[in-house]
Amino acid sequence: MGLNPRSPMATTSHVLFPRWSNHLVRAALGAVGIGAGMLLIFAFAYFRSPLFTRQNEPINQPVEFDHRHHVRDHGIDCRFCHTTVEKGESAGYPPTEVCGSCHGQVWNKSPYLATIRASLFTNKPLEWLRVNDLRDYVYFNHSAHVNKGVGCATCHGRVDEMAAVFKHPPMNMGWCLDCHRNPNHNLRPREFITSMTWKAEDPEAIGAAVAKQNNVHTRTSCSTCHR
Amino acid sequence: MPQIDPTKPRFWRSVEDFTSGADRPKAAHGYPELVGREFPVGATEIDGATRRDFLKLVGLTAAGTMAAGCMRNPPERILPYVRQPADIRPGIPLHYATSTSLGGYGIGLLVTSREGRPIKVEGNPDHPASFGASGTFEQALAYGVYDPQRGKHVKRKGELSGWKSFKADVISRLEAAKADNGKKILFLDGPTASPFDGWLRKQVGKTLPEAKFVTFTSVDRDAVFDGTELAFGQRLETRFDFDKARVVLALDDDFLESGPDRLVHARDFARHRVPAPDGAEGAASLGGDDAKTRPSAGEWMNRLYVAECAYSVTGGQADHRLRVRGSDIICLAAALYARLVPDGAADVAALAAPYKDSKWVAAVAKDLSSRGAQAVVTVGTRQPAEVHALAAAINATLKSEVVEYGRPLLLDTKSGSSTLKDIVAQANAGQIDTLVITAWNPVYAAPSDIAFADALTKIPNVVYYGQFEDETSVHAHWFIPAAHDLESWGDSTSIDGTVAIQQPLIAPLFDGVQRGELFGAFAGMPDSTAHELLREAHSQTSADMTANGGFEPWWERVLQKGVLSPTPPDTITPTLQTAKIGERLRPFKFERIEGIEINYVVDNKVHDGRYGDNAWLQELPEPLTKVVWGNVGMISPAMAEKNGLAAEEIVKLTVDGRTIEVPLFVLPGHAEDSISLAIGYGRTGGEAIARGVGSNANALRTTSAPWFGSRATLAKTGKSDRLGITQEHWAMEGRPIALTAELADVKRKHLPMVEEQNGPQPSMMDEWPNTSPEGYRWAMAIDMAKCTGCNACILACESENNILIVGKDQVRRGREMHWLRVDRYFEEVDGSLADAKVVVQPMACVQCEKAPCEYVCPVNATVHSDEGLNDMVYNRCVGTRYCANNCPYKVRRFNYLNWHNSLQGTYEMKMNPDVTVRARGVMEKCTYCVQRIEQARIATRTENHGVGRVIRDGEVVTACQQSCASGAISFGSLHDPKSEVSKKHADERAYAVLWELNTRPRTRHLAKVRNPNPELA
Amino acid sequence: MSAAAAHTPVPEHLREAPLIEGPQSDRTLTDSILHPVWRDPGRGWWMALAVTSTFLGILVLCIAYLLLTGVGVWGNNSPVFWAFDIINFVWWVGIGHAGTLISAILLLFQQGWRTSINRFAEAMTLFAVICAAIYPGLHTGRPWFAAYWLVPIPNTMDIWPNFKSPLVWDVFAISTYFTVSLLFWYVGLIPDLATLRDASVSRTRRLVYGFFSLGWRGSARHWYNWKWAYLLLAGISTPLVLSVHTIVSFDFATSIIPGWHTTIFPPYFVAGAVFSGFAMVLSLLIPARHFMGLKHVLTMRHIDNMCKIILVTGWMVTFGYICEYFADWYSGSIYEVGQILVRMLGPYAWSFWLLVFCNCIVANLFWFRSMRRNLWVVWIVAALVNVGMWLERFVIIVVSLHRDFMPASWGMYYPTIIDIGMITGTMGLFGTAFLVFLKFVPAVALAEVKELRYETELQLQHAEEAH
Repeated sequence: MGLNPRSPMATTSHVLFPRWSNHLVRAALGAVGIGAGMLLIFAFAYFRSPLFTRQNEPINQPVEFDHRHHVRDHGIDCRFCHTTVEKGESAGYPPTEVCGSCHGQVWNKSPYLATIRASLFTNKPLEWLRVNDLRDYVYFNHSAHVNKGVGCATCHGRVDEMAAVFKHPPMNMGWCLDCHRNPNHNLRPREFITSMTWKAEDPEAIGAAVAKQNNVHTRTSCSTCHR
Repeated sequence: MPQIDPTKPRFWRSVEDFTSGADRPKAAHGYPELVGREFPVGATEIDGATRRDFLKLVGLTAAGTMAAGCMRNPPERILPYVRQPADIRPGIPLHYATSTSLGGYGIGLLVTSREGRPIKVEGNPDHPASFGASGTFEQALAYGVYDPQRGKHVKRKGELSGWKSFKADVISRLEAAKADNGKKILFLDGPTASPFDGWLRKQVGKTLPEAKFVTFTSVDRDAVFDGTELAFGQRLETRFDFDKARVVLALDDDFLESGPDRLVHARDFARHRVPAPDGAEGAASLGGDDAKTRPSAGEWMNRLYVAECAYSVTGGQADHRLRVRGSDIICLAAALYARLVPDGAADVAALAAPYKDSKWVAAVAKDLSSRGAQAVVTVGTRQPAEVHALAAAINATLKSEVVEYGRPLLLDTKSGSSTLKDIVAQANAGQIDTLVITAWNPVYAAPSDIAFADALTKIPNVVYYGQFEDETSVHAHWFIPAAHDLESWGDSTSIDGTVAIQQPLIAPLFDGVQRGELFGAFAGMPDSTAHELLREAHSQTSADMTANGGFEPWWERVLQKGVLSPTPPDTITPTLQTAKIGERLRPFKFERIEGIEINYVVDNKVHDGRYGDNAWLQELPEPLTKVVWGNVGMISPAMAEKNGLAAEEIVKLTVDGRTIEVPLFVLPGHAEDSISLAIGYGRTGGEAIARGVGSNANALRTTSAPWFGSRATLAKTGKSDRLGITQEHWAMEGRPIALTAELADVKRKHLPMVEEQNGPQPSMMDEWPNTSPEGYRWAMAIDMAKCTGCNACILACESENNILIVGKDQVRRGREMHWLRVDRYFEEVDGSLADAKVVVQPMACVQCEKAPCEYVCPVNATVHSDEGLNDMVYNRCVGTRYCANNCPYKVRRFNYLNWHNSLQGTYEMKMNPDVTVRARGVMEKCTYCVQRIEQARIATRTENHGVGRVIRDGEVVTACQQSCASGAISFGSLHDPKSEVSKKHADERAYAVLWELNTRPRTRHLAKVRNPNPELA
Repeated sequence: MSAAAAHTPVPEHLREAPLIEGPQSDRTLTDSILHPVWRDPGRGWWMALAVTSTFLGILVLCIAYLLLTGVGVWGNNSPVFWAFDIINFVWWVGIGHAGTLISAILLLFQQGWRTSINRFAEAMTLFAVICAAIYPGLHTGRPWFAAYWLVPIPNTMDIWPNFKSPLVWDVFAISTYFTVSLLFWYVGLIPDLATLRDASVSRTRRLVYGFFSLGWRGSARHWYNWKWAYLLLAGISTPLVLSVHTIVSFDFATSIIPGWHTTIFPPYFVAGAVFSGFAMVLSLLIPARHFMGLKHVLTMRHIDNMCKIILVTGWMVTFGYICEYFADWYSGSIYEVGQILVRMLGPYAWSFWLLVFCNCIVANLFWFRSMRRNLWVVWIVAALVNVGMWLERFVIIVVSLHRDFMPASWGMYYPTIIDIGMITGTMGLFGTAFLVFLKFVPAVALAEVKELRYETELQLQHAEEAH
């Protein structure tokens, strides 16, 4: 382009920015755009991923209690230890004496049970680590769910296959709402509540039947869980 | 707010204590649970890392900052019991029956306990004096038990000591006292009617035959007994059954808000404060005891005359109120006596002179006599015996069925300042070696002309047993920290003779000593626990016991019900001795006090000062002035104008030489030439909250004029104090907000004001869609005819919903947090405030069906539930405060600052785990106790194998409703046309506040009804 | 005869004052307009900057304290839940309006006189909107949540913002407005940045200006595209001028509070915004043109025109008040009428009458030419208008809230030291930004002024050729 030789541009501008800098700027702009997009996608993914929800992370408890052994092998019912699951908001944790009731006789010398014996003798409580930790402004009530036909396994997964128990579902609000909006596919007959292996051939049909019998209905008002 | 003592008190006895069986009960019923609950606190569900903090609280503060969820907090720890105590199921509340007493008379309580922490106090439905209701003082116990200001250590001469060394000291002294049978040992106790106390005194008497017990309180009932002595020749307990009353004249008597039977009074009086029996009330009133007195519908409603100086709660209910100075009351009574007691007129002529021709007196006398048996005159304890005698005579002549007499229940019917006078005399004469003070803080409570503190210096050994290290403890050689009522074994007798058991809800938090154990030590039983002593005290067999198969099962039943099987109160029908009254009163002349008379009143919040350290009560608005955190000098508008005085101005108040400074409050309806001042403030003790709040009226009171009758002079100081007032504007500005009607109009269904505030409106909005599966439509009705404005509901709400206190300064800034407020409006009478009438209107969130708050919230933090609740989701709220701006009822409260910074240690244990503790920057409000609704729902829906059933009417009771003695609040679902609340909504007095805004509130108010005497109209 | 009539010169007082005074060439214009950028700022500028940045510091401290302690550090209470926070927000947004109006609407109407003041006004808009944007976020109780809960992001809670709430509309309105204003201002700057690049001596300056001028070479194509872009942006931002303050006014108009609940708000909020915007331009421009020697391009005629606009918008605002109070009275609602009385006779009556004086009365001085020409008068009036507009928001927000429906919940409002710190602080932020702007980019759109000069000269030539 015909530049006026007296214009400073003639002498300086090409020195100022070489041609390739144009491409550089365009590339940079593109990179920024794409980067922002990626960041967004990552954020979306992260908050839904086990990284954040802590799903499937086995937690090492002070006592090496193995649900596989007690539930699967010996077929001990959940309610044997978690006694208040049908009565209270908390499923309840067994007092040490419950462990003692069996292990007073069997394995009463086993080194695995040292902590339990210690607790019994010194009268100091065991310190378990919480696996399914809801925010404290969420008022979850076990009895309300169990009595209406929501099975243990539905939310806690196949505990009978867990060496150390871990969190099964994401347990975020969206997950709760899925079921609260349409509970039927998660309902099961009363007798199978604690069953780990129960499978419905036609969940919707059975769910509908249970819902009818227990007059289960959707509850999505905020005060259902937040008070 | 005070910080908790860094030397961390042991809230929970250690495992060692527990197992080593240190005062561990033998198979004591009701006690194993206790031990279980004491150890370890709420074991399950408690974050082991911070055992003393409470999960909900910790969690919430955490939620405040971390709910965004970008943070990974470490996993919580869970500490299950080692051996789970029977009937403790973590997360499931337990209720225990116990009792407390005020002024010596018992009130039954039902206390809710979560994981071993008492968190809520209610009345015991099985107890006649509380029948499930409760007042502010009872509610406030739930705060008091956790007050970290309480005395924590046994101290000797201010030095840390221990309970064991005190007992050692006592034993040695008992040895020494054997010589003179302990005649130099004196016990100064508060008034009490407790059988246990009686038994303990007997036991002490066994070891110290000549030791004396005397009683003192600054709010004594001596006048009542002296009055009956004068009128009938015997000291008698006076009881009133307002259920039978149709015309009541209260002479300086706040019978609805003070006295041992105030809750029963409020209930019975309120039943007849409405034109006709309503709802459940109506059904009840048809049969049973009421049948005989039940008059025809027109006569259902009662009429109340009140003559008093400062506006009281009862005064606010009056149909006709006469403003008189305290010292004029006797003349008024005499004038009535002259008219109503034929053979007494002459005796009181001199006294009656000022009111001889009073139109008011004439009308009242006529009304009383026309009602005869259904009329009654009551007199406040502030008034001298003579007035009580006059009233007793009038009632006797009227043959009033309302009043009945019985033998005194108090162990000692003399508890006035004369007691202290005697002690001072004996002390100066060196007749006292050991003075054991279990009365509340006599050094502070003593009248100014008794140098009680000096007297104490002359006594070699003064033992003070109290909850706080206060004004008295500094003069005592021994300070013994008292266990709180919720920490102690004991019993109580209510004014109708019902004996109730007091059982601890929690082990003494600060190593407090139980009353029984203290007296036990002097009775030579230093090692037995209060629990053992109590069982022994009640061990003598009764018919009831044998009927229940021996002591243990009977005792268990008693602990469950909380009351011993009620013995019908013995009633005495004494004979009137007009002549005696005559000769006493004939010499009386009335000389009027010139200038300004000072008038002391008992405070509705701190009583005589004993509740001064209770921040809940301190921040409670005084029912009439709405002043919090302190007392004020109340004067009439005219007097303020005449002397150029203004509200909030601090004046120097001088009564024969003694002076205090006090801020003024101009109170409509106050008597002229008189200034009223509440006692119980201006504390200088060790209680951080009470100290320095208000000014000390006791510094002016004298034995001769304990309540009124001395001349005061006011001097400006030029200073002023911005009071903490929760309601700055008293006038309704002619807006249809708190409606009133007269009985006549209600009868002929002529209520234009109410009708205007009713019915559907032309609106583009469709009806509220009822999508609730069960069809519940929760609603409330507040009957302003029954509400006395006593504030009990405010505290009940505060206690249930973890509402936090903010302190005087923040109240000044208009940031108080009470969800439920009681608005008080003065109505001018012919253009002047002099005789202004009062309307009180409880106002909490009215749960609008078309709620203005909901659509403006940008984050959906306040939305409608399918049952018509206006849900408030604290964890979603970001605090734009738009909802509160748009709330026409201004019932939303905002956490401007992190209020629970001020919540230290033990306070946190008070928190109700079923209600979120709101973080800073969050809006909050009433949700009809939604946590109780949900509990009821879960309970009913999980019934019969999960099939469930619907919630019945009355199964959900809101905290405010539960506490209300007068039954002004109804709650339930409108979907059931037979529910109490449906009936109330259908009442012709029901209306919607701010109806014209078409917010369609679920809370309806029922217009207040007045029943004026046509002759005084 | 007719020719003679044509030759008779137009009398002085009727002739329109020129928009560019004195004989100017491109060179002289470039030198004079760029001079402030080249020259060493001088003590005045530094002292001004010192003052403003001190207040900016105060702002930062206040905000830190606020975030650590909670909104309780302000005087807000119950019933006055909104106070200085929202007042300042609305006030600043309002001020931000002049910029777009001048750039967009006057451009579309081809008002030549907008040319030398638009850069000024646009910059002012940007900074004002920044100041405004501080408040809506910080006034919430928990900004760290408000920051993203008010934005519709698909989340694991399955919760969305409440699109019925005007506060959500605000988020969109303000952010759009800011983006467009920024683009508009920047696009306008490009040719001048190029000039700066070419005229600057030091290499760093050339690089910086060069980078931001996006390789502008002044080719015909550049000018062509640039013109189109500028026009398009003008078209886009024209509706914004109306929408933004309309939506801000909805915060009040959609509520039910007496004194808020009224349909007149949108129009008179916009009018008021322009009113205060021009006032602010004037109160900045008058000193600026003096100290920066720009009198020849920022002429008395510019000032005169702006005074006229203030006069007009002033009356629009006044009319708005009249309508509002008439409607309140005509509604017959005791609460609405009560609100009028409270404003006029209540404890805050002083604020109402002061606002009437500032917004409805003072501006009428501009009926007189002499007043419009007296810079002192103009500046003082402009300042008063800004005060008046702030008071207007005070009356609407605080006075309406402090006494609404239920007398029992009425209460007074008193600002705290932090409240004062925040308002003065934002002024500091505004001033600092403005001083920096004056120093580093030409305060007057150089390219456009030159263009204007050509046009006017051409017009003169045509006039000559005519006879």
